[in-house]
Amino acid sequence: MEEKIFRNSLNYIPVDVAKGIDRITGKRVNADDLDPNYERMPKCMHCKNFRLNEEKIGLGWCHMKDKDFIAYPDMVAVTCKGYMEK
Amino acid sequence: MAKSFKEMLAESGQELGFQSGGKAPEELTSREILWEPHPRIAKLKEIYMDSLSSTNNEFPYWYTREYFQHDNEIPVVRRALALRTAFSHLTPLIYPGELMTMRKGAFFRASFPMPWLSEGFYMANESSFYQEALKRGSASVDEHSKFGQGGGNVPKSFGKVISIAGKFGMRQEEIPILLELAKMWDGKSVDDLGHKYEQMVPDYDVKEAIMRSVACMFDSGFTLPQGREVANYYYPLEYGFEGIKAIAREKKSEVAGRADGDGMVGTNRLYNYEAIIIAIEGVQNWIHNYGDHASWLAKREKDAKQKEEYLAMADRLYWIEKNQPRTFLEAFQLIETLHYAIINEDAISGLSSGRIGQVLYPWFEQDIEAGRITEDEVLELLEQDRLIKTSIDCFASVGVVGGVLSGNTFNTLSVGGVDRHGKTAVNRLEYLIVKAGGTNAMPQSNIALHYDETVPADFLSLAADVIKTGCGYPAFMNNDVAQEFMLNHYGHEGMTVQESRAWSIGGCLETSPGCWKPLHLNGKEYWIPGGAGQPTSVGVHFIAMPKILELVLFNGVDQRTGIQVFKPHNQNLETFEELFEQFKAYWDKAVDVLALTNNIQHDVWRKNNMGVFHSMTKPDCLESGHLINELGYRYNATFNVESAGNITCINSLAALKKLVYDDKKYTFEQMLDAIRNNFGFKTAHEIGKFSLLEQEKEENAKMDYEQMHYDCLNAPKYGNDDHYVDEILLDWENWFCAHSETVESLYGEPMYSCQISVSTHGAMGSAALASADGRLQGTTFADASLSAYPGTDRKGPFALMNSAAIWDHSMSQNSQMNVKIHPTAIKGQEGSRKLIELVRSYMRQGGFHVQFNVVDSKVLKDAQKNPQNYRDLMVRVAGFTQYWVEIGKQVQDELIARTEYESV
Repeated sequence: MEEKIFRNSLNYIPVDVAKGIDRITGKRVNADDLDPNYERMPKCMHCKNFRLNEEKIGLGWCHMKDKDFIAYPDMVAVTCKGYMEK
Repeated sequence: MAKSFKEMLAESGQELGFQSGGKAPEELTSREILWEPHPRIAKLKEIYMDSLSSTNNEFPYWYTREYFQHDNEIPVVRRALALRTAFSHLTPLIYPGELMTMRKGAFFRASFPMPWLSEGFYMANESSFYQEALKRGSASVDEHSKFGQGGGNVPKSFGKVISIAGKFGMRQEEIPILLELAKMWDGKSVDDLGHKYEQMVPDYDVKEAIMRSVACMFDSGFTLPQGREVANYYYPLEYGFEGIKAIAREKKSEVAGRADGDGMVGTNRLYNYEAIIIAIEGVQNWIHNYGDHASWLAKREKDAKQKEEYLAMADRLYWIEKNQPRTFLEAFQLIETLHYAIINEDAISGLSSGRIGQVLYPWFEQDIEAGRITEDEVLELLEQDRLIKTSIDCFASVGVVGGVLSGNTFNTLSVGGVDRHGKTAVNRLEYLIVKAGGTNAMPQSNIALHYDETVPADFLSLAADVIKTGCGYPAFMNNDVAQEFMLNHYGHEGMTVQESRAWSIGGCLETSPGCWKPLHLNGKEYWIPGGAGQPTSVGVHFIAMPKILELVLFNGVDQRTGIQVFKPHNQNLETFEELFEQFKAYWDKAVDVLALTNNIQHDVWRKNNMGVFHSMTKPDCLESGHLINELGYRYNATFNVESAGNITCINSLAALKKLVYDDKKYTFEQMLDAIRNNFGFKTAHEIGKFSLLEQEKEENAKMDYEQMHYDCLNAPKYGNDDHYVDEILLDWENWFCAHSETVESLYGEPMYSCQISVSTHGAMGSAALASADGRLQGTTFADASLSAYPGTDRKGPFALMNSAAIWDHSMSQNSQMNVKIHPTAIKGQEGSRKLIELVRSYMRQGGFHVQFNVVDSKVLKDAQKNPQNYRDLMVRVAGFTQYWVEIGKQVQDELIARTEYESV
């Protein structure tokens, strides 16, 4: 279930690990608050190359260039050339 | 009711928080001068003030992933490949309103772990991290708001944020990968490999005992393997990145397969140039990603002015990604980018910008002449630079970040000094730099003013005004003394008088070598200074002098832990000379074993973790093809031996000389007994308070040490122009400075003495017994290296400076003196004049450094009680300025206790 919260949204400007700025309203918001104008930010969790590790919380694998490497679902992928939206 | 330490001191004629030369007004006195930044900067500053130190795994993830794809690749190329991938994947983050952009990571105060250096300090908490991460529920704004009291520190976990090392916040979603990455480096990090080999040093057990007893503060070989040095931005400013790559490609053809007479590392040049190209590509990709992000933002932006700014920003970024900058703003953006690139390559504290007023002057001069920019616009950019530099965090262990750095990363910039020809180097841009230090008063960049008799009077007057804002800078450094040190120490590496003039302050107070390079802009040639030396962050770092003396008194045994640190000397120490000789013998042993082990740690660093991008920027790596690890830098004799607690130790030696050896009032054994029993006071550990102000006397002490304590407190004290004690300081400095030059770094170069305390006087004091000067167990040492112990400098600032100037400061990389002055003491123009005269007098006597805290101690006390009202209060600690709320209580108390001068 996709969490439509600020820290997963393209409208969010992070200030620190807990809060940021809503780009649309310019207001300070909590990172974990719901974003009424949510726009999905590319993250590993949304990528076809990523698969979750069911045995280890918060971890998974990234399959690129025919190789697997450990990965984590929450990582931002805006600069990743291999990102392919599911 | 038992007496407190404060009362004891008062009875002995001394006083914590002593007011010298008058009486401060009863009411709280704020600073005389209060300036404001431009509205754009004020808005960005508001974000900073409300931001927490934040960390994530983006850089380490991509670095690690790439690194482990290249088993058996040439180490320097392997490292460059990992760096390129990591830089290429950093998520860009641009805040509305900023004119210059780029940052360490995707937070306002971002930093990240580097497990290839050290992973142990957070792996030790692995189980607790997991537990914290798993048990925490949803975020709570209420919990979050409590953190304001610690400024930007994250001392405790809250909501979905996990505290690391008591300083950094990391999202709980990131903890599993943090630990997985760390495990991949287990046994391979510089820390782990260094440890494997350092154990082969004979007497390694002595080193371990030294560290356990906190006679030494930290392992410098891997914790902060670069830094406390001066950056050099010349090559990208002159050639642009594409120009540098073209040079490197050409050089590759010249050197491929050729030893050119150097059978050891001659052929390495090929791989080094290849690595330089790869690392530059990574930084170029990073800049390009920022350009793309600015373009993306422009497309979405509705506000026409902001849209235009994003588009202009993108244009600048795409340009500097490849070329020499065309304008002042492009040049400034480029040096900000370079600064971030260097500190992202390694764990660095104290990468100083150097003399940027002289480096950026070509663009300033030409843009002002052409009407492309106004001085007010330049001032605004300089204000933003302060915000950028203050936002820099360094991810390292709590002992390093808290105990040594107090969270500061020392991105000092220098102004003043002289040019190549020995004439004042002060220019119009430097006036604006100093002014910005007042209009946007923030801890960084600390400003180091190179004092020279040719520095213009109105420049000094402006400096005095800025000091009156209470920001603690500019600090004054003696240009002549520094040049003399340069020539003495770097002469054998080819330092000339002309080149010695290019020195700057690296870190907070580290005199660092530089050089001049010819910069060409639109057909005009300018000679600009820049750093040309290796880090000064490596060597033997912070040996607590009072602790070494304590070990002499107790035959090598640390009384706190019971560890036999040094071999027993088994001497009766019947004369002061014998005592002093034994002190030197233990010092020598400590320095020897620490130098050897740190040499090994840093040797591992240079083999696997060498600076690539940073090396490219430093003369003469690009010309020679050798990087930092192969002596590619012009000056390599930069490693040092650092002392802490200098004045506490000197005062203690004076008390022993007076009371035990000269007057024979007490026996040696009586003195040991009193020190062991903390002069009848409860121990700081017992009461859980380490502050000078809070020590309590034992109600039912077996012995009454009151008279003895009184005598110790009343023994001659440094800072009063008293030769009895000052001569001991002189003897020590003459020996210590010469001894440090006998120690050899891994590069085969002599070390030198470095005499700053940073924050170690708090952390190391807490692990030391009481001392013969009357200081109690667990409390701070005197700060800096030439500040008086709080309340003991009774004869005014000139007497203090006479004491300090008894020795030749050019024998050492630095000396350090902090002076606290009440705002009313230097009020108005007359006050400014007196302040400058005080500085001038000290400099003419040969003093190297002095800096001022202009603050009413009552304000500090109020700030302790009501921290929420003082988020932006800054104080000078020791070589650096920091926000009051981000400093530990024991150092806060020491700052309150320092003598406050009511008149000058």
